[in-house]
Amino acid sequence: MRQIGALPGQANRIKAGVSALKEWEGKPVENSAASEQTERDLIARSQQGDKQAFGELVLRHRQGVINVVYRMCGDANLAEDVAQDAFVRAWQNLRSYRPRSPFRNWVYRIAANAALDVLRAEKETADVDSLPLPATGDGPDALAERNERAEAVRRAVMALPPSSRAALVLREYEGLQYQEIADVLGIPIGTVMSRLSYARGRMAELLAPHLEAP
Amino acid sequence: MRGHVTALLEAYHDGELHGRRRKDVEAHLAGCESCRAELRSLQAISALLRESPAPRRLTPPDRFAAQVNLRLPAAPEQPAWQRLLHIGWQAAPVALFAAWTFIQAAFLVAGAVFIAAQLGLGGSLAADLLQLSQGGGTGIAASSLSDLWSVVLQTLSGGGPLGWGVTLNLALSALIAVLYASWLASWWVRGKQQRV
Repeated sequence: MRQIGALPGQANRIKAGVSALKEWEGKPVENSAASEQTERDLIARSQQGDKQAFGELVLRHRQGVINVVYRMCGDANLAEDVAQDAFVRAWQNLRSYRPRSPFRNWVYRIAANAALDVLRAEKETADVDSLPLPATGDGPDALAERNERAEAVRRAVMALPPSSRAALVLREYEGLQYQEIADVLGIPIGTVMSRLSYARGRMAELLAPHLEAP
Repeated sequence: MRGHVTALLEAYHDGELHGRRRKDVEAHLAGCESCRAELRSLQAISALLRESPAPRRLTPPDRFAAQVNLRLPAAPEQPAWQRLLHIGWQAAPVALFAAWTFIQAAFLVAGAVFIAAQLGLGGSLAADLLQLSQGGGTGIAASSLSDLWSVVLQTLSGGGPLGWGVTLNLALSALIAVLYASWLASWWVRGKQQRV
C-alpha cells in the first residue's frame, strides 16, 4: 500500500470519497436553538447598524477568526490585526449576508480571504526545501521537545500553498465539515477533499521525523 | 468489502462517512492491518497538528472588540446595486397601482371621447377627434397621425362588450395582478428568511 497523501491515485480516492458523501443523507444536526436565535437577533440588529450587537458577534467569533488567520499567516501579532480587518470587512458587507449559511462560515470566509490578501501582499513564498525541520528526540526536556515540534508543525503548515493551507486549517483546527469548508472557501466539495489530501500528504512528508518519533 | 478502503479513509477519519459506508469501512478495518496503519498515520498527523499551540492572547477579548468597534464606519455599507434594487422593490406596488390607474383612465377617456364623438356631443373637439380618427387632415404626417389615432381610439374604446378594448384592458389588469401577486410572494419569502 502506498504512502498516505502520495499523489498517484489521489483522484480515485477523492472520487470515491465524494460519491460516498453523496450517498449520505440524514446528517445529524447539533445546535443550540436558543444560541442560534440569539445570534440571528444579533445579526439582524447589526444589519440595522447596531454596533453593540456587532460587538457581541465579534466576541463570539473572535477566537475562531484569530485562529484561522494565525494558522494561515503563522504570526500571532499579525493574526490579530488581520482578524480585526476581517471583522471590519464583515461589518461593511453585513447587509449582503443572508442567513442561509452560518454566520461563522461567512466570517471565516472573510478572514481566510483577508489572510490570503496579506500573504499575497507579503509575497510569502516559503520553499519547502528551505525549511529545515529540527531533529527529534534530542531535546533536554519534554517542553523543549514540544516547542520544537510545534515550530516544525508551524513551518510545515506555512510551507503549504495557501489554498491547501486554508482547507487544512479549517478542517484540523476549526473542525469544519467538508461542506462547510467548501462554503467558506467557495470551492466544490471535491476540491476541498483534494486540497486536504494534498495537504496531509505534504504534512506526512515534512513531519515524517516527528511522526515516526514515539 | 472487497479491496482496501484507502479511498474512503480520509473521509472516515474526518467523520464524513455515515450509515452503511461507515459500517463497511469499520468492518474492513477490523480485518486489514494495512488500512489500519494508514488510518493511524492520518490520526498521527491530526494529533501532531493539533498539538501545536493556539496563538497567545495578546489582547483581551473586550479590548479586541472595542478596537474593532473604533474602526467601524457609521453603518454597514450597502452596495449601490442593492440600494437601487431595494428602492425599486419597495416602490413596486406603488408603480403597479399607478400603471393600473393610468390604463383604466386611458380606456375611460378614450371610450368617453369615442362615444361623445359618435353622438355628436362635446362640440368641435369631439368632432375634430372623430374626424382625425376617420382620416381627416392633409399630407403624409397627418395621415399617419390619423391612422394611429384611429387605431388607438378604436382599440381603447372597446369595440363592443367583448371587443379588443375589453380584452386588452382585462389582459393588462391580469398582468398587473400577477406582478403584484409575485411581489407579495417575494415579500412573504423575504420576511420568512429574515425570521429564520
